[in-house]
Amino acid sequence: METKPIKIVVYHCRNLQLFNNGNQKALARRKPGLKLVPIPCSGKVEAHHLLKTLAAGTQGVLVVACEEKACRFVEGSMRSHKRVDYARSWLEELGIEQERVEYVHVPPRDLDALERLIDEFKARVEALGNMFSERSP
Amino acid sequence: MIVAERKPIEEIKRMLEGYPSVLVVGCDSCVAECAAGGHRETQLLAAALQLAFGKEGKSPVITEACIDRQCVDDFIESIASLVPEHAAILSLGCGAGVQALARVYSDKPVFPALDTLFIGETEMRGIWQENCLGCGQCKLGYFGAVCPVTRCSKRLMNGPCGGSKDGRCEVNPDIRCGWQMIIDRLEALGELARLSEYIPPVDWSTSHSGGPRRVVREDQLP
Repeated sequence: METKPIKIVVYHCRNLQLFNNGNQKALARRKPGLKLVPIPCSGKVEAHHLLKTLAAGTQGVLVVACEEKACRFVEGSMRSHKRVDYARSWLEELGIEQERVEYVHVPPRDLDALERLIDEFKARVEALGNMFSERSP
Repeated sequence: MIVAERKPIEEIKRMLEGYPSVLVVGCDSCVAECAAGGHRETQLLAAALQLAFGKEGKSPVITEACIDRQCVDDFIESIASLVPEHAAILSLGCGAGVQALARVYSDKPVFPALDTLFIGETEMRGIWQENCLGCGQCKLGYFGAVCPVTRCSKRLMNGPCGGSKDGRCEVNPDIRCGWQMIIDRLEALGELARLSEYIPPVDWSTSHSGGPRRVVREDQLP
């Protein structure tokens, strides 16, 4: 039986300029289950976005931010880092593996680095297994 | 504003056990300012509950809504269409909000998601300070707008006590001596002479001694 690819969502800061000329679609096609969500600044990500993403059936969420000193909006990366930590503290309280939400930096325009990070993250999440057992009302 | 803190998720989950659908209702006033019950926290708690129940193989319907003020009927009525579809309500309002929801939607069980702590102010982002006890007879005018009832651990009206040391409180050295704050402020204003007036001890009969308090204003009644 064919198994479904696990769902991974990547929120990435648009200012990293990782994608152009449709290579975002190409990357998503190469990696089934992967959803790439561009955001104006990683600082726009809040803890409830991350938990909602997981509650919707995603197995892992990666937040890709600019280096903290390079943030175009000065505090954006610092804020998203704190929010990811906060979301992870919720996961701990809920008894869910904190590793399902991660915060990473990649150099601007370095798509290879992003792809490598996604592969590593996906492997870690796959090792954790499925978050939910079969549901009943 | 009213300052509150979220209850542990286990306690919230225990209260909601067995209900097939829950309406999570936030309040975008005081508890939003203290990052405990506003629209962000409502969405966060709703998602957390979905994860918590999902982990146990359960999937109750969890809907979120947020109203501007949970303690005023006009605002509470804005969720009237959602209430009948749910078996229980989880409120992220203060204690007053929870009770107001329960009064308006009297046929629904209503549960608190927060512990209501105190009346306070936002000292800075992430820090909230208690500074009013609602004693019912405000004397801030005598004390340079620093409340001895709340800011002094011993609630002294003619302090400071002998335990005040280097501007810190003897009860808890982590907090500033309320009386030191009063003196510093009045000194800076050049109004230290105000303290030469004797202020009698607080008459607690205007506080909680007579049961729940009520204010009635004829001019405001319909």
